[in-house]
Amino acid sequence: MRPFTYARATSIDGIHAVQSATGARILAGGTTLYDLMKLGIETPGHLVDVTSIAGLDEIRSHQDELIFGALVTMSDAAAHPAVLQRAPVLAESLSKAASPQLRNMATLAGNLLQRTRCAYFRNGPEYPCNKRMPGSGCAALDGLDRGHALFGGSRSCIAVYPGDWAVALAALDATVDVHGSRGMRTLEVANLHRLPGDTPHLETVLEPDEMILNIRVPVGRLGQASTYHKIRDRESYAFALVSAAVALELDDGMVRQARIALGGVATRPWRVPAAEAALAGQRLDRAAALEAGRVAFADARPGQHNGFKVALGTAAVADALMIAAERSPSR
Amino acid sequence: MNQTIYPDRARVDARDKVRGVTRFAADMPMQRVAHAMTVPSRIVRGRLAAVDIDAARAVDGVLAVLTWRDFKGVKSAGYLMGGGFGFQSHQPMLSDRLVHRGEPIALVVAETLEIAIEAAALVEASYEEEQFAALLGDTRAEVLAPQPGHDMGDAQAVLASATFRVDAEYLSPAQFQNPMEMIATVAEWRDGTLTIHEGTQNSGALKFGMAAALGLDPARVRVESAYLGGGFGQKNSLQGQTVLAARAAMLLGRPVKLVMPRAQLFHTASFRPASRHRIRLGADADGRIVAASYDADMQNSRPDTFRASFSEITARLYAIPNYTSTARLVRTDVQSPGYMRAPFEHPAAFAFESAVDELAYAAGRDPLAFRLANDAETDPVTGHPFSSRFLAECLRDGAERFGWSRRDPAPGSMRAADGTLIGWGVAAGAYKAAMAPAIARLRVRADGTTRISLSGHEMGQGIRTAIFAAVTDGLAIDPARVEIVIGDPDAAPQHVTAGSWGTASSVPVVRRAVQAMQARFEEFRDGRPIRGTIHEMLARWRRPYIEVESRLQAPGQPDTVFDRLQRGLPAAAGPEYEPFVSFSYIAHFVEVRVEPTTRHVRVPRIVSVVDCGRIVSPRTAESQVRGGVVWGIGAALRETAEIDPRFGGVLNNDFAEYVVPVNADIGAIEVGFIDRPDPLLNEAGVKGLGEVAMVGVAAAIGNAIFHATGRRLRELPIRIEHLF
Ligand SMILES: Cc1cc2nc3c(=O)[nH]c(=O)nc-3n(C[C@H](O)[C@H](O)[C@H](O)COP(=O)(O)OP(=O)(O)OC[C@H]3O[C@@H](n4cnc5c(N)ncnc54)[C@H](O)[C@@H]3O)c2cc1C
Ligand code: SF4
Repeated sequence: MRPFTYARATSIDGIHAVQSATGARILAGGTTLYDLMKLGIETPGHLVDVTSIAGLDEIRSHQDELIFGALVTMSDAAAHPAVLQRAPVLAESLSKAASPQLRNMATLAGNLLQRTRCAYFRNGPEYPCNKRMPGSGCAALDGLDRGHALFGGSRSCIAVYPGDWAVALAALDATVDVHGSRGMRTLEVANLHRLPGDTPHLETVLEPDEMILNIRVPVGRLGQASTYHKIRDRESYAFALVSAAVALELDDGMVRQARIALGGVATRPWRVPAAEAALAGQRLDRAAALEAGRVAFADARPGQHNGFKVALGTAAVADALMIAAERSPSR
Repeated sequence: MNQTIYPDRARVDARDKVRGVTRFAADMPMQRVAHAMTVPSRIVRGRLAAVDIDAARAVDGVLAVLTWRDFKGVKSAGYLMGGGFGFQSHQPMLSDRLVHRGEPIALVVAETLEIAIEAAALVEASYEEEQFAALLGDTRAEVLAPQPGHDMGDAQAVLASATFRVDAEYLSPAQFQNPMEMIATVAEWRDGTLTIHEGTQNSGALKFGMAAALGLDPARVRVESAYLGGGFGQKNSLQGQTVLAARAAMLLGRPVKLVMPRAQLFHTASFRPASRHRIRLGADADGRIVAASYDADMQNSRPDTFRASFSEITARLYAIPNYTSTARLVRTDVQSPGYMRAPFEHPAAFAFESAVDELAYAAGRDPLAFRLANDAETDPVTGHPFSSRFLAECLRDGAERFGWSRRDPAPGSMRAADGTLIGWGVAAGAYKAAMAPAIARLRVRADGTTRISLSGHEMGQGIRTAIFAAVTDGLAIDPARVEIVIGDPDAAPQHVTAGSWGTASSVPVVRRAVQAMQARFEEFRDGRPIRGTIHEMLARWRRPYIEVESRLQAPGQPDTVFDRLQRGLPAAAGPEYEPFVSFSYIAHFVEVRVEPTTRHVRVPRIVSVVDCGRIVSPRTAESQVRGGVVWGIGAALRETAEIDPRFGGVLNNDFAEYVVPVNADIGAIEVGFIDRPDPLLNEAGVKGLGEVAMVGVAAAIGNAIFHATGRRLRELPIRIEHLF
């Protein structure tokens, strides 16, 4: 770990100026940032602690929208009655993530920006890794790729985006409000992360001086009939082997709208529009759900050790659709 | 025979532990302590060409950066299983030779831990790398000639003509103990005496090993190991880091603390080696197992020879008249593997008890009835009697508690209402009942206190509670003021606490001390009436204290074993004693539930019934079994080291990625004890418990998965991908 300086901000004014002047990093819960600093992967010289900024730790429930402040903790959001009731997919994506201790510290904005768990990335310079050291190669391509991507990979990197929350947000067409030297702008969560391409070290479209302020989730007719179905190596405290964030609008058993996003299998939160389209206008039964699962994984490009995720993911999507349907006010 | 039925009681150290009062080695408050951090080697094998410590030394607060050149005159303390004291013979930092990934190449000592970590990251090294073998199956691994194991009758000939046969290979991965308390040393050098505070299972080996390594008189080396936060075999001998910390303390003249980071422990401490097991079994038309052959390969390091012993229990689980076994050691470029809980017995029971299940199905028999029908009455290996053997009782009692009679034997036949597949499996386990020599000193004082010192190490298994039970059984002393001194070679000679011989070695010697105390007390009393406790009587007689010493060795051991004990060398015996054979036994009954869609496996309940002789401390005994069963669940379904053969080393080297069960993975665990004292092994009737607890769990789970799904899975861990 390298020495660094630390300052606490009490308002968003001027943060971007500090960021651009010093290359500072924003510190929220620290559960990703400190971890990566200890591993020598992140080496910021200066940290701006934003956790004392007032007004960013609220959840607002409006008629058509849930708005989450950047500093809301994972545990608070997961337990919020409006979230549980109006969009269980969001609450479940948080309560099934990490551990209670981590959820108590971690913030919703920090969560979006967590980095891959690729072991080669995390383990140090003896392993070639383009994300950690651009141009050094990718040890995972011919290596232990059980946890690597079936979607969105490139010849440079097949690292999975590990988070759950962003996958649920992508399913619901959520957006983030970001603030930087160029003022405010709004981005779709589904477009926040980049595909690795030839530059896997560039992970998001955020500018270095931008800060996330809010996360907005439209919840109208879509939301209540939703679930986050996460398959992992143990019942808790594990990243997803495969996950499916699903939201449905049903009308008398017929699908009016379906949203499906996959986690644990792609280089970024992965919407599967073809599977959504395959369900539209269909009666949702087990067979239709399985077919949607198959469509969702039709373009999967498995490696050496992760081929089982095609069948597992197909089943997970199907199960998620059936669970979500159970929650529909009008089945 | 021991007639005492011991009452349920809380751990004697429970209150202190939950209040955080208990001091572990790294918690020792110490003036002017300096903090050390190791710099791990980034190659697997080769030579350290150059190491640049300038940047590290320039960091403010760094006291020293040591490299191998600072260790002139220091020697390896030798390999524990080769007459020495260390977990391996290779002591890092004695030369520029590097033999396994992650071994320390430099040691930074600084005023604070943060500075030490910062400076350690600044040490740069260059290497001359050599080719290496990381895995059991690597082409560069050296496969040694097969060593014969147990051998009776003519297994190959009988196998060839058996009516029912099984021939299968089973795989067990490399695994790491990962005790909660990381391996930590605080070394102090003062007035020519070296004091080592370290949570070790073997304070005796540390004392004599450090003396050998540093060229000191053993009388000038003190070791304190009052508590460990878990050991599981990883702390059973001298660690390389202890030498590094001590050397630094001696050079600097300040106490030095070195707590190894979790990730480094995957490369600097011992582990369970990967192994491969080919098993052939044959049964006759009546369902009797007539022959077995067992050929194993087990990973080893290059320099040391850690022998395999997979046949010790498998030759005896059943009355198999024809049995043959071999083991080949496979040398790879790793640190030396060693004794992780049930070191051979866990993988052996997985392989053998899976094969027995396969054979039962091949012969069309119920797996429980098949095991009972093949029970052994005398030891098939030696022909001698077992000192006690209640395996059949474990199986019957477990079956009763579990409800085995309601099982439909056909695979895939039992389902829950929602379609979940249900599987019920059984497996047996055994572990040698071993004993080590021990000397106990018991002093009862007029001031109301009692002190017992003897060999033993408290790793959380509850040895203090068992000793307490024995010392307060039959002595009129104040139980609130009993001091138990263990893990201190200067108070009493210390033998390694491992191999489940802790209770069987300490409780009988304490009982002897109690009897000696009673006798001495009677001598002093000389017929006078007893009023009150021994303390009160001593006060009345104006005697400050009575002290007695007792000693005990395993049956048949010569008195010379006490010399080994006094010199910190291993001196345990078992399972073969003249003229009997001793084992502990266990039967596990497991229910698994397999989701029909995602094939996710859950283990909602397990019943485990144990024959380990007399139970001295019921609560800690039950907790030992639960812990062993939990570990068995992890070993069956989760635990494995991810090793990329191109790089060596363990990639999943933290608790987020080295997957062990969490609470939510564990269902009901019902524990039963036969609780019948062993009549021959020792006067307490105690066999051993810690290791046998996990033996067979993985097989029972695999057998249950077969029953649920019809899929026979022969590689551990059984993960979700294996069910697709
Ligand atoms: C052992 C372990 C297990 C985990 N398991 C899971 C899991 O199963 N599922 C899952 O989804 N996650 C999991 N996580 C990840 C965890 O959820 C994230 O670490 C956490 O959400 C990050 O939030 P934080 O507030 O601590 O972020 P920090 O560590 O403070 O920050 C993370 C990053 O975001 C940046 N940042 C923070 N806030 C802002 C902001 N407002 N605007 C712009 N940039 C910002 C920081 O500069 C930094 O780069 C796990 C983490 C650990 C350590
Ligand atoms: S997959 Fe990406 S993160 Fe992993 S080693 Fe390859 S380049 Fe690095």
